[in-house]
Amino acid sequence: MKGRYQDENLKWIPILIIAIYLFPFLIKNATFSYKYYLYILNMAGIYIILTVGLDLLSGFTGLMSLGHAAFLAIGAYTSAILVDQVGLPFELSLIITPLIVGIFGFLIGFPALRIKGMYLGLTTMGFGFIVKRLIIALREWTGGSAGLQVSKASFFGISIKNDWDNYFLIYTFVILAVIIARRIVQSKLGRAFMAIRDSEQAAQASGIHLAKYKMIAFFISGMFAGFAGVLFAHTSHFISTDHFDISLSIFFIVMVLVGGIGSIYGAVLGTLFIVLMENMFIPLFKDGLSQYMHIEAGEFQVFIFGLIMLLFIIFQPQGLYGMWLKMRIYWKLFPFNPRKRFT
Amino acid sequence: MSKLTIQNLHMHFSGVRALDGISFNVNEGEIFSLIGPNGSGKSTLFNCINGFCIPQKGDIVFNEIDLLNKKPHQIVKHGISRTFQNLQNIPYMTLLGNVLLGAHSRLTTKDTLNRWFSQREREREESLALEVMDFLGIANLEHKYLSGQPYGIQKLVEIARALVCKPKLILLDEPAAGMNDQETLEIAKIITEIRDILEITVLVVEHDMNLVMSISDQICVLDSGKILAMGKPDEVKNHPDVIKVYLGEEADA
Repeated sequence: MKGRYQDENLKWIPILIIAIYLFPFLIKNATFSYKYYLYILNMAGIYIILTVGLDLLSGFTGLMSLGHAAFLAIGAYTSAILVDQVGLPFELSLIITPLIVGIFGFLIGFPALRIKGMYLGLTTMGFGFIVKRLIIALREWTGGSAGLQVSKASFFGISIKNDWDNYFLIYTFVILAVIIARRIVQSKLGRAFMAIRDSEQAAQASGIHLAKYKMIAFFISGMFAGFAGVLFAHTSHFISTDHFDISLSIFFIVMVLVGGIGSIYGAVLGTLFIVLMENMFIPLFKDGLSQYMHIEAGEFQVFIFGLIMLLFIIFQPQGLYGMWLKMRIYWKLFPFNPRKRFT
Repeated sequence: MSKLTIQNLHMHFSGVRALDGISFNVNEGEIFSLIGPNGSGKSTLFNCINGFCIPQKGDIVFNEIDLLNKKPHQIVKHGISRTFQNLQNIPYMTLLGNVLLGAHSRLTTKDTLNRWFSQREREREESLALEVMDFLGIANLEHKYLSGQPYGIQKLVEIARALVCKPKLILLDEPAAGMNDQETLEIAKIITEIRDILEITVLVVEHDMNLVMSISDQICVLDSGKILAMGKPDEVKNHPDVIKVYLGEEADA
């Protein structure tokens, strides 16, 4: 029976992976400023790892988190301290730091056993503020509000020097993260998560320990964020509390929402979309508009993202991935497609 | 011997006496029906057996295991599973996924890890669900998403989810609610098959009297938290109190 146990997308995955690795070579010849594009893509890659984890928590388990920038910050600072001050190798930090951040996620999971929805969002947001203040307060290790220089990574003898190297390092882990997340979603764990989201009663009656699985969701999500944090610290070489603002947490939610909440590919698409918007499309017409509107660059982004999110929630609640699925069905049925179904 | 014993069960919600001293036995391999007017405590009784509610007084013993202070997810492991009156399904998951959700307690972490790497393990896991879905006649829909499926199918998915964890006792909360006559007949057939072929004891709450009278081995009538009558279908049918509760008293009696 063909296609019974496998996703239809499966045959595209090897091609996509090859394309990801060939992409830098492609744009190297195509444009002069390829390093800038690689830098943006690296940022997107780091955020993808995080939003995939956030999607597991918010999209699949239905536990809202507005504190993911804090998890990213903990990951980044922990790794910076472990590698530069304690002297652990980068490879080891890649394993230990996500575990530490996972434990933080686990701790934040405790209130999640009792509270839901918006209130949980506010709790995690509060966690974000606490973490930011803590980082500033622990000046001896973190450098306080002045920020912290982080050494360049070396991965099993290969030193990661510039954006070109970063790209391959980051996207290797992006691919891994997506595969792992997909595996989680398709297994017993993912079913338990979705059951908790849609019907706690059914989950309990099926033998799912609610508290345990909510904790696991937070732990896993924290691990993904921690992983992103390590990569963030060692590829941007400088971290400060300004990088991990509350607005970043909100952007993560926007990324997941725009991509399509509750699908792993959706999180990937949404993150790419938002990061590319932020860095490539908005600057194009920002200067033109600033002649007519007195608006700061940062505010303008928030304005645009708010608008995008609003439009998506109203017109395309399934997000970009839902759009893609509809298009696929459309072309499959073409020209015998009932018109109304695809509007 | 697998048997459920309930003794002197009291469950009060502040002032409301939902269950007021209920005692009965469910023997192995029988279909035991609970009937009664709305608000008579049938669903509360289910919730107590299932662990959603903790009764103030009384005993619930299943196979010599005290179920009273167990959590719902532990009770599944002791071999009791249930369905819900209003559907509790996961709409954006395939039918197969929904049914496999019920197999949660049968799958270990090792199984899950194996499944990540081997196709054969995955097929083995899915065969757990397909077996049950085949039994209920919904195996051909395994890859359909649950949202958008007809109500009857969704009801069957619930039953499949309850069956896939290999229970010894299954609690069915109004399996035929909202079904037409044809579907009700099918449900009746399925319930008797659950008893006869799968050898699972069935405890069922149902309002459809034809269904209840035709399949039950024992019937218990509840009214405002008390047992009104108990016995074989024929005895219950002609019991004066039952007639009174269901049809009302004669005006000039």
